Amino acid sequence: MSNLANKKPPSLVALSTVFVLFWLVVAAFPFLWTMWGSFKVEGDFFSRADWMNAITGPVTERQHGGPFTLDGYRGAWIEQEFWRAVLNTGIVVFFTVVISLTLGTLGGYALARSGFKYTFWLLMAALVFRAMPHVTLVSGYLLPFFQMNIWGYLPTTIIVLVAINQPFTLWMLHSFFLSIPKDLDEAAMVDGCTRFQAFRLAIIPVMWPGVVTTGLFSFLLAYNDFTVTSMLLTQENATMIPKINSFLGSTQEEGKVMYAVAAVVSAIVPLFVLILFFQRQIVSGLTAGAVKG
Amino acid sequence: MARLQLKNVNKRWGSFVGVDNFDLDIADQEFLVLLGPSGCGKSTTMRMIAGLEDVTDGEIWLGDRVVNNLEPKDRDISMVFQSYGLYPNLSVYENIRFPLRVRKVPKEQHHEMVMKAIDMVELNDFMDRRPAELSGGQRQRVALGRAIVRKPTVFLMDEPLSNLDAKLRVSTRAQIKNLQSKLKTTTVYVTHDQIEAMTLADRVVVMNKGKIQQVGTPTDIYDNPANTFVASFIGSPAMNLVEGRLENGVFQGDGIRVEGLPAGSSGNVTLGFRAEDAEIVDGAGEISAPMYSIELLGEASMITWRLGGSLVSIKTNKEYRAEIGDTVNARIPAGICHLFDTASGERIAQ
Repeated sequence: MSNLANKKPPSLVALSTVFVLFWLVVAAFPFLWTMWGSFKVEGDFFSRADWMNAITGPVTERQHGGPFTLDGYRGAWIEQEFWRAVLNTGIVVFFTVVISLTLGTLGGYALARSGFKYTFWLLMAALVFRAMPHVTLVSGYLLPFFQMNIWGYLPTTIIVLVAINQPFTLWMLHSFFLSIPKDLDEAAMVDGCTRFQAFRLAIIPVMWPGVVTTGLFSFLLAYNDFTVTSMLLTQENATMIPKINSFLGSTQEEGKVMYAVAAVVSAIVPLFVLILFFQRQIVSGLTAGAVKG
Repeated sequence: MARLQLKNVNKRWGSFVGVDNFDLDIADQEFLVLLGPSGCGKSTTMRMIAGLEDVTDGEIWLGDRVVNNLEPKDRDISMVFQSYGLYPNLSVYENIRFPLRVRKVPKEQHHEMVMKAIDMVELNDFMDRRPAELSGGQRQRVALGRAIVRKPTVFLMDEPLSNLDAKLRVSTRAQIKNLQSKLKTTTVYVTHDQIEAMTLADRVVVMNKGKIQQVGTPTDIYDNPANTFVASFIGSPAMNLVEGRLENGVFQGDGIRVEGLPAGSSGNVTLGFRAEDAEIVDGAGEISAPMYSIELLGEASMITWRLGGSLVSIKTNKEYRAEIGDTVNARIPAGICHLFDTASGERIAQ
């Protein structure tokens, strides 16, 4: 940092600080609002009388004797068995990520290292299928799945999510592999590796940031998916997002909307943990360059 | 330790010929350099020996077996790459140990073997560093260390010095020469730099457009180039080549006339001679033409004429002074001249 670069007019510093703070508030506000509100009752959070009620919580105080209540969480997690949805999401996400990363690394590596022209067209085709709205694909799946009697099960959903996700993982990993010089594979093979050993011992260790980044995107796709999971899963196999949606859909029963709010907050927490945990790999993966020999 | 033979080896991609009928016998412990411009097929030839490229036609013998269909790992060779090909996630020590690990050399021998290699390439102070923390020359030494650690039968080196700066190139070149003479391992070395070829090789193979142009010792190809391609590729500066007509032992070109050449042949020929063999004279000479340029090289001056379509240069002492455009004469004895057939480029037997 040179002195010249540091010499900014104080007005500019103040302005940019204010802007960043403003942006932070705007970005974080919906989440903070929801989290705060998740400890209130419906009468406060969705108050028609005064929006300030969502912050102070007079109805919550009248009903529970304090400004905060765990009613929403209790209802969602215990009464409505939200934990079952969390478990289902866990299973679906885990297998989707593992399967699509396995296929993606192997396929991306093969495509990156084969000099044939069809590689480009394969990847283009993959991109086209990725660009389609998911619902067009899923509606086509429904009838065959009913007939084969595999509708409603988690493995079916996992396969569909992997299929939808694969083009993207393939593209992303393919470009990561391209950034690794071919010399590395060849050096490993001359050093005594088989093709697969070269891949496993020489390439994958260098590829970690790419694998983690791609894995995170697959994770988010599977975690946040609504279209596929809501159409392909039975009530008891539902994952978190359709489950939350079902809470929201039943407004006739007082308090159930608050289950949705509590569940939403519960669903966000793992994402924070994940991003904090893999933050370093994700950054180096997104900025690539990290894989330079 | 082994003899390496390439028997009529061809490489084709569709109709494109990469390597055309390459036939060569490389003796045990020989240092062979494949030399040629980029795209001449020298790297492809080496990659076929390594097993990184399939052989379209012909046989490669390593010792007493054909290795055409063997995987690279089963050929017992080691290779140094232009861009090093180091494992960026491993330390210098682990990079050099890698071949031992994947080849399942007993663990208790690893340390001794790795340390011996590290000693030879003088990397003792950098053992625990990652490749990214090393300079280009150090990285290439790691690659060398990795190549020598398990004592392969053949070393392959694919332009190992190309990514280094000029000064480092000279010292690493000397190091490679020294290593090879200590280890006595058959070595095939690919380069486009004729000075590397001249300094390192026992024998040089000059290649162009997939074909072998000439095989010989460095002195051989320098003194007796087989055709105009080799003549213009070897030496710095390259051999002067002037087109003209030969009749009754007299060569006549634009601004040049050489007498006393072999009378056996006549017709359109190209006359070649080296800049350092001829000399500038005050009196009459074989060349008498206006000077095109004069350059001071340091230890000498280089006088250039434009004769016909080609530039011809001669070295003279560094005190020599003349103005551009002055007529300058040079003496070119018939004994230093090489004659090539202009149409085919081949040397005319003398």
